[in-house]
Amino acid sequence: MVQPERKWYSGMLTQEDWWAVWLGVGFFFLSLLNIAGIDLVGWITYPTKWVFNVPEGGKGAISHAFYALGKKYSLTAKDFYKGLGWWSIIWTYVIFTIATCIGAASMKWNVRKFFTGWTIIFFLTIATWFIGHHAFFAANKINMGKYGLNFALSLGGGGSFILALIVGLIIGNFFKGFAEFLSEAAKPEWYIKTAIVTLGVKLGYLPIKLAGMSQKLGKAATGLTFDLFIAGAVATIVAYMVFWPGVYIISRRIFKLPRKTAAVLGSGISICGVSAAVATGGAVRAKPVVSIMVSALVVIWAVIELVILPGFFTHVWPGTKDPLVAGAALGMSVKTDGADAAAGELMDELMRNKIEADTNGAVKWPSGIITSSAVMTKVWIDMFIGIWAFVLAMVWVYSIDRRPGETVPVSEVWHRFPKFVIGYFFTWLFLLALYFGPGQAGAPEAMPFLKSVKAGAVPIEKGMRKLFFMLTFMSLGIITDFKKLREAQFGKMVWVYFVALFLFIIPVALVIAYLFHHGMQIPNIAGYVK
Amino acid sequence: MKQIVLKISHDGKDWVVENSLVSMSSPTLEEIDAGIGALLREKGFIGKGEKARVRMEFDSSGIPQWIRQYSHHYFDRIVDIQG
Repeated sequence: MVQPERKWYSGMLTQEDWWAVWLGVGFFFLSLLNIAGIDLVGWITYPTKWVFNVPEGGKGAISHAFYALGKKYSLTAKDFYKGLGWWSIIWTYVIFTIATCIGAASMKWNVRKFFTGWTIIFFLTIATWFIGHHAFFAANKINMGKYGLNFALSLGGGGSFILALIVGLIIGNFFKGFAEFLSEAAKPEWYIKTAIVTLGVKLGYLPIKLAGMSQKLGKAATGLTFDLFIAGAVATIVAYMVFWPGVYIISRRIFKLPRKTAAVLGSGISICGVSAAVATGGAVRAKPVVSIMVSALVVIWAVIELVILPGFFTHVWPGTKDPLVAGAALGMSVKTDGADAAAGELMDELMRNKIEADTNGAVKWPSGIITSSAVMTKVWIDMFIGIWAFVLAMVWVYSIDRRPGETVPVSEVWHRFPKFVIGYFFTWLFLLALYFGPGQAGAPEAMPFLKSVKAGAVPIEKGMRKLFFMLTFMSLGIITDFKKLREAQFGKMVWVYFVALFLFIIPVALVIAYLFHHGMQIPNIAGYVK
Repeated sequence: MKQIVLKISHDGKDWVVENSLVSMSSPTLEEIDAGIGALLREKGFIGKGEKARVRMEFDSSGIPQWIRQYSHHYFDRIVDIQG
């Protein structure tokens, strides 16, 4: 029987990257039915800040701690969604369970094991989302009085993220049997790639949202997203040119690692973690065990960065003076998509709360822009991996390890291309087309149309995005076993990683991010929101 | 030129190339490339002296499940051989 050749469409129903696209774009299309007056996404649940005892005239009743987003944003089914309350959690669970189980079945996972693990992870996530939104964690000095508090940690939604990560890490490091049981459903990369597709909805929706406040703000938002797009690309190219040679030299000259190991480690530390390590291992025809070991290191160090960097960048430097520098630096420093986007989202919450508190409410930033700056650089890095691996393969195959008759197929670039990026750009550009087209760039006469788009977009870019970010934090913790760092066979690779990352990559990332993102302003919406 | 597609994997010790009718393993890719032509001729896939393009596609199931969510593709390599 002749083995069929791998085609360009191979994997469309069996790979997580593609299933991130199907989930994200699928629900996005569902949301667009709002333009025709049909609201099929308003059931998506979302938490609010709460307290046990609501003060006189205050807010934060537990009965309202979860609500269906359609209660606030639906134009055609507001009353129905208003009645859901906490039941919106069940709606969200049932519908996303159906969608993810279809994906799991298509990817030939153990669906029963996935369903059980998913159910546990989902409700653990909801529980931490709830606890993290207690006003003590989530409120800041501007609004804590409404909840009857004299002090609050000002973490915004970040408290929930941190709690989800902590719970996941406890499971992953102290209840390993349970972690193994959940592993079929603990898929941080799938969840974050789906969330990144919905982040594309966020970026595309941003001009529409701000146009609802003022047409000028809408145009400013469009300009900013394009600036992020270009600056992210340029910063990435510079990063590749500087990071990879630097880490390769550190690995070879200082730590005396073999050429192939240095190449794989170089890519894993300097470019994009696991996918770059695997791509480079393949490009230089290393034995798979090299990429596997580097990948294990990458995943663990990425979680360590996720814990340290958002707080450091927020409170030490560059802080709220240059939030997009911080975001872009994260994108170049944190080496998995999951940890980077999660770190960006956490930092987004921390910085927005900080600036609001520091300015006594005079400055408020829309959510998601800082996250986008972290993700944008990462997306560019991801897109270039295939090209980088192709270049490395050609160097290795045609020069360093020349074997007669071997050629490098160009199709390698496509097979390594991060397909979820297609969903990210598709949703973003689709909404931009709606904004500039029938939305008439936010002209007053187009507002009814833009409001119908908003009714669908918000449950996706706010509810679905945040939920999948939460699932990412929880899953990241579950799969991260810090004990792996002590395992003997890593040897000096652990120290190469530490030295290269903290003494070279992160400082240089901050410099590159500063060069290309310094001075970029986030629109202030304080005058337009309560 | 004749096109032949084989799966390639690594069992921890050797590279293994195979399809449903042929199988070959060796510690290095050089040895694989040196021997695959003779094996394919012996099994009747190509004639003596006939040229063929062998596409070796890495078997993704050999990538651990936990890594596949980050990257599902290792490498495909193309080698021109003579029977």
